[in-house]
Amino acid sequence: MAGVNLENIVKRFGAVEVIRGLNLNIPDGSFTALLGASGCGKSTLLRMIAGLEETTDGTIRIGETDVTHELPAKRGVAMVFQSYALYPHLTVEQNICFSLSLAGVSKAEQKTHAARVSKLLQLDQLLDRRPAQLSGGQRQRVAIGRALVRDPKVFLFDEPLSNLDALLRVQMRLELAKLHQELGTTMVYVTHDQVEAMTLADQIVVLEKGVIQQVGSPLTLYNAPINRYVAGFIGSPAMNFLAGDASLGGTPLSIQLQGGGTVQAKVNAQPTQPNVEVGIRPEHVRIVAPGAGHLPGTVSVIEQLGNTSYVYLDTPAGPMIVEADPTQSHPAGSQVGLDLDMAHLHVFDQSGRSLSVTV
Amino acid sequence: MTDMTMTNTRATRLRRLNLAGGIITGLTVLGAIIWAFPLYWAVITSLKVEQDVLTPGIQLLPERWTLDNYIHVLTKTQAGIWYLNSLVTSLAVTVIVVLTSAAAGYAISQLRFPGRRLLWWLLLASFMVPIPALIVNHFVLMADFGLLNSWSGVVLPQLIAPVTVIIYKQFFDSVPKDFREAALMDGATQFQLFFRLYLPMNWGITTALAIITFIGAWNQFLWPFLAVTSESKMNITVGITQVYDAFGVRYARDLATAILAGLPLAILYLVFQRRVTQAIMLTAGIKG
Repeated sequence: MAGVNLENIVKRFGAVEVIRGLNLNIPDGSFTALLGASGCGKSTLLRMIAGLEETTDGTIRIGETDVTHELPAKRGVAMVFQSYALYPHLTVEQNICFSLSLAGVSKAEQKTHAARVSKLLQLDQLLDRRPAQLSGGQRQRVAIGRALVRDPKVFLFDEPLSNLDALLRVQMRLELAKLHQELGTTMVYVTHDQVEAMTLADQIVVLEKGVIQQVGSPLTLYNAPINRYVAGFIGSPAMNFLAGDASLGGTPLSIQLQGGGTVQAKVNAQPTQPNVEVGIRPEHVRIVAPGAGHLPGTVSVIEQLGNTSYVYLDTPAGPMIVEADPTQSHPAGSQVGLDLDMAHLHVFDQSGRSLSVTV
Repeated sequence: MTDMTMTNTRATRLRRLNLAGGIITGLTVLGAIIWAFPLYWAVITSLKVEQDVLTPGIQLLPERWTLDNYIHVLTKTQAGIWYLNSLVTSLAVTVIVVLTSAAAGYAISQLRFPGRRLLWWLLLASFMVPIPALIVNHFVLMADFGLLNSWSGVVLPQLIAPVTVIIYKQFFDSVPKDFREAALMDGATQFQLFFRLYLPMNWGITTALAIITFIGAWNQFLWPFLAVTSESKMNITVGITQVYDAFGVRYARDLATAILAGLPLAILYLVFQRRVTQAIMLTAGIKG
């Protein structure tokens, strides 16, 4: 087992800089998710750790070893690809043992390793099948088995669940979490799905345009995002952002919401301009009688999920989503009041920086 | 419209379809007969006594059946040696062409090295030069090397096969890069990637190309005819012309020789019909 340390990592494709001087410490034994929208550089970063992509500048360390210019097979890492990359002409057993076979390990030893891994991943009944004869979930397990058999110091996952249907994805998520608990090996997991990142990882790295926006535990990122990008990216449904005018200098900060009342927000820094955005999560807003609360709103759509419902509203300060009691009825077009829980307000200045937490 | 009228209309339409189908089938059968008749005629003639071949009228079946012509060709000529020569040279051409083409296709498709693009363009350019245009150069070259009248002399000029390189390159291009990267992470070398991943994953195309290369090499006439003058080094395609020369026009015997020469290919074709069709379609796609 080993941690991964990235120092001043730069990656350029021609003139395009994809990763810009990135520094990151992935602790030994952690489950770290690299999270970001398409094109943010998360897969490139993972491929650089794997050695499949040359590093333009900077240093990659796995454990204490500098592996920046080391061959992929010599880094002690194993990777599970989005497409699984199972060799179609080989059986499950041969796929699992491919790396051992390349290394010249004896057939008997290969069998022992295959048995160990297949038992762990419940593949023992499928060893003679070919990838085409497996379901999506089984293929996924074989891909993990192939990585597992090498006893790597670090596991790398490149969006491994994105080809599975919703139900299977939840199941495999659980299996991955269990696997991490059992093995305790460092895992680096690339995803654009924040639910996957939140449920699996103990450390999330939010990337945007090749720059780390924030690193922290799922709850830290959820409760204390350091900027508007992270606040908007983490959480489903996303955080609401309301336009407001702040009275400069006061503590708590007094903000007049556009077309609504005034809210008081605890801040750690003062804005330089009065124009600010107030962020609040859907579960921290309450629907009250028209005329009451901090903001008037008109119901546009309701999503009933059974245990809860999401009410989409138009307000003078911007569109909002509110998590509401499913037993209460809010017909489309009805006027309501919105009460914001001031203990959970986030304030962002014009640059998108959060004023609510200490950076 | 009543049910009865609808049923009648459908029946009329079906009758028309049946009629059209019948006419097409009839025409196809007629075409097949016209195409196959010379083949049938050759087989029947080879089973006739020589004196019965040039009798007036058309004899669809021999009056007197005989295998003498075949026995004669197999025992009184060097047909056995010609077969062996054909087999050795065709197999050598097939194995070397397939292996070198696959390796070249892999290199151009998967490896990054200076001059790769130039090499690719040269390959495409060489593909534009018809092989018969090079035949004099080949002859001079082989003569200079002292390889005329030898298996090597027959084989070497037939190893120029840009089409198979192009086909392999295209197939290797289409292998998703995840397989390659997964194997690289598993510690595969370039040779292991080639022999354990790219070749087995394209096994179908390899067999198809091997069969069509073998057929091409077996059917070669012009080059083996020029490169070999010694009867003991001749291929079957060249050897059968010697039967003609030695005995004058003896149709039954000549046709028996021709049938014996083509028989291995006919069997090969029957066994690997689908693969041959696939290979022809592939090469036609490239050449088209």
